[in-house]
Amino acid sequence: MVIAFIVMASTSQALAHAALIKTDPADGAVLAQAPARFSLTFSEPVSPLVLTLVRPDGTPVALTSFRLSEQTVEIDNPRALKSGTHVLSWRVISADGHPVGGSLLFSIGAPSEPPDVSEAIDWPLRSAIWIGKVLLYAGLFFGIGGAFALAWLAGDGRAGQRFVAGAILCGLVAAPLSLGLQGLDALGAPLSHLAQPVVWRTGLGTSFGWTVLIALIALGLGLVSLAAPRAAARPLALAGLAGVGAALAASGHASAAEPQWLTRPLVFVHGAGIAFWAGALVPLGLALKRQAAGAVEFLRRFSWAILPVVALLAAAGIVLAVIQVRTPSALVDTAYGRLLLVKLALLVFLFTLAAVNRWKLTASAEAGATEVQRRLTRSVGVEVLIVLAIFGVAAGWRFTPPPRALAIAAAQPVSVHIHALQAMADLSITPGHAGPVSVSMIIMTGDFGPLDAKEVTLVLSKRDSGIEPLKRAATKPGDGSWRVGNLVIPVPGRWTVRIDILVSDFDVVKIEAPIDIRP
Amino acid sequence: MNRYLLAAGAFLVLGTNAAFAHITLETQEAAVGSTYKAVLRVPHGCDGKATTAVRVQIPEGVIAVKPMPKPGWTLQTKKGKYEKSYQLYGQAVADGVKEIDWSGGNLPDEFYDEFVFRATLTADLPAGRKLYFPVVQECGDAAARWIEVPAAGQDEDALENPAPGIKLTPKK
Repeated sequence: MVIAFIVMASTSQALAHAALIKTDPADGAVLAQAPARFSLTFSEPVSPLVLTLVRPDGTPVALTSFRLSEQTVEIDNPRALKSGTHVLSWRVISADGHPVGGSLLFSIGAPSEPPDVSEAIDWPLRSAIWIGKVLLYAGLFFGIGGAFALAWLAGDGRAGQRFVAGAILCGLVAAPLSLGLQGLDALGAPLSHLAQPVVWRTGLGTSFGWTVLIALIALGLGLVSLAAPRAAARPLALAGLAGVGAALAASGHASAAEPQWLTRPLVFVHGAGIAFWAGALVPLGLALKRQAAGAVEFLRRFSWAILPVVALLAAAGIVLAVIQVRTPSALVDTAYGRLLLVKLALLVFLFTLAAVNRWKLTASAEAGATEVQRRLTRSVGVEVLIVLAIFGVAAGWRFTPPPRALAIAAAQPVSVHIHALQAMADLSITPGHAGPVSVSMIIMTGDFGPLDAKEVTLVLSKRDSGIEPLKRAATKPGDGSWRVGNLVIPVPGRWTVRIDILVSDFDVVKIEAPIDIRP
Repeated sequence: MNRYLLAAGAFLVLGTNAAFAHITLETQEAAVGSTYKAVLRVPHGCDGKATTAVRVQIPEGVIAVKPMPKPGWTLQTKKGKYEKSYQLYGQAVADGVKEIDWSGGNLPDEFYDEFVFRATLTADLPAGRKLYFPVVQECGDAAARWIEVPAAGQDEDALENPAPGIKLTPKK
């Protein structure tokens, strides 16, 4: 628990996937000569993992000298660049522990055919990450949950102990392996680089590193509890169960969502609840199958406790799903939503089985009806398989940004800095996609001095779209900026933004620049 | 050849037609070192609103400015120092009218009117270039600003609100 709260406190700054806001040079820029440095500005602090400059002939150059200042990564350009189109490929890690990447094109002299830097999906690595996750879940839920069930519910019965020990060992292998795979994914390196120390350091440096550390401790506690005498086993198993919740709350989409004070405890409850339920299934099923002494007692305790646990587990899951998915349409429109639908379908099946077990079979099984106990055993076996399938689906979320993060990324403003001899402006359009937006402008003189304009007019035009220029007078809210609200940008694409600055009664300065509006 | 001239002429007529919507000067050419009678033609109000004031900025090098009063309009001038002193009939002139302001009138959008001033174009002005007189047309609380001057190499027709201008010809 203590660990859980330390993690929650230490990473409470975490937001979501970082989104690229501004670059220098701008994407698509044509420069007279090579810049001395590049800069990338994100929506939140990030740490760079791989920065590569791809030259016009396709040869990559690793950029290793960079500085971080708040949300901006400043990268030194190590060498003179020949003319032609270059690609600056970047890969950074954001606060939720997931790497994000992209690239920007710029040309020296004149544009040339851009070098090919398509980022292919590394399927072997993806499969390995997915398998690692499923095995880790099996270790956490079947292993530690099983140890908890044996210590708290099974009485003197030890049925399923070997399975539980096996699951924990499987988790103990999967946890560190997942860390290495996370490192590979973060660096965009293939599976064959798994042995390199930098991969492991990188994996440990992400928030997933915390998940693995806490999971290892929890797995250790679970394993020790199996061997310990009853009095010691119970607190050990309980700590292990709490560790499962804490490990899951330490990283991942759901834990990175806002509001953190709500999502992290919910992930904790959800994780611990799954461990309680899933963990008890195999020991209970085996105890019933073998008609072991105390099996009926085990069943009674489990069925007494499972209702409130499932209620909590489901409530936490529903709230998290609502936070992540936001709109019902996202359930169908996004990969994340579709995985959730699959999981829900499996859950309906699982809940039906569980309800039949709980309300139809349990009473007679407790009364000692052998035939019913056998049916119950079979049913529990099926439940275990469904639970495994659910683990598989949940592990798939590793690769799908939740609609919440997609919405945050879409809501990021687009900004442009327009610099002319007589005046310059920092303009940002929020959100940076087509639809209703508001525009904020800071107007300065050409040498960064204050410019007290009499009037500022914004003109947005898109010549290729057949849309007449949108012209709006800006207002001065009093914070030094000029604003245009209630503006609707009808279509995405490259627009030309022009700012007409009335410097004095008879002097107008017009500055303009292209700006890319996202769909 | 004739056809070519005809086409060029047609182009000129069509090309200047567009300027009719703007505030323009009646006489489009004047020699440096001469006296110029400027007639500002105001063809319409600001987006349908009646014109209530016309203000003209006098460019550097234009001196001895005398605006013509108009019945129904209050005439004022703003005076100030020139960037340098000019010779006028053997005397040095270092300051004078920098802005003319006809205000308090009412010229409905459907009517036309002219605003007149006289000035001396000093011999220091560059012949062969254009000289612009930026005008602010006020219509109550709205305004149309005919103040845009083309940047070097920019086509004047591309401007939305061009300042009225004249072509300077060499001194006679």
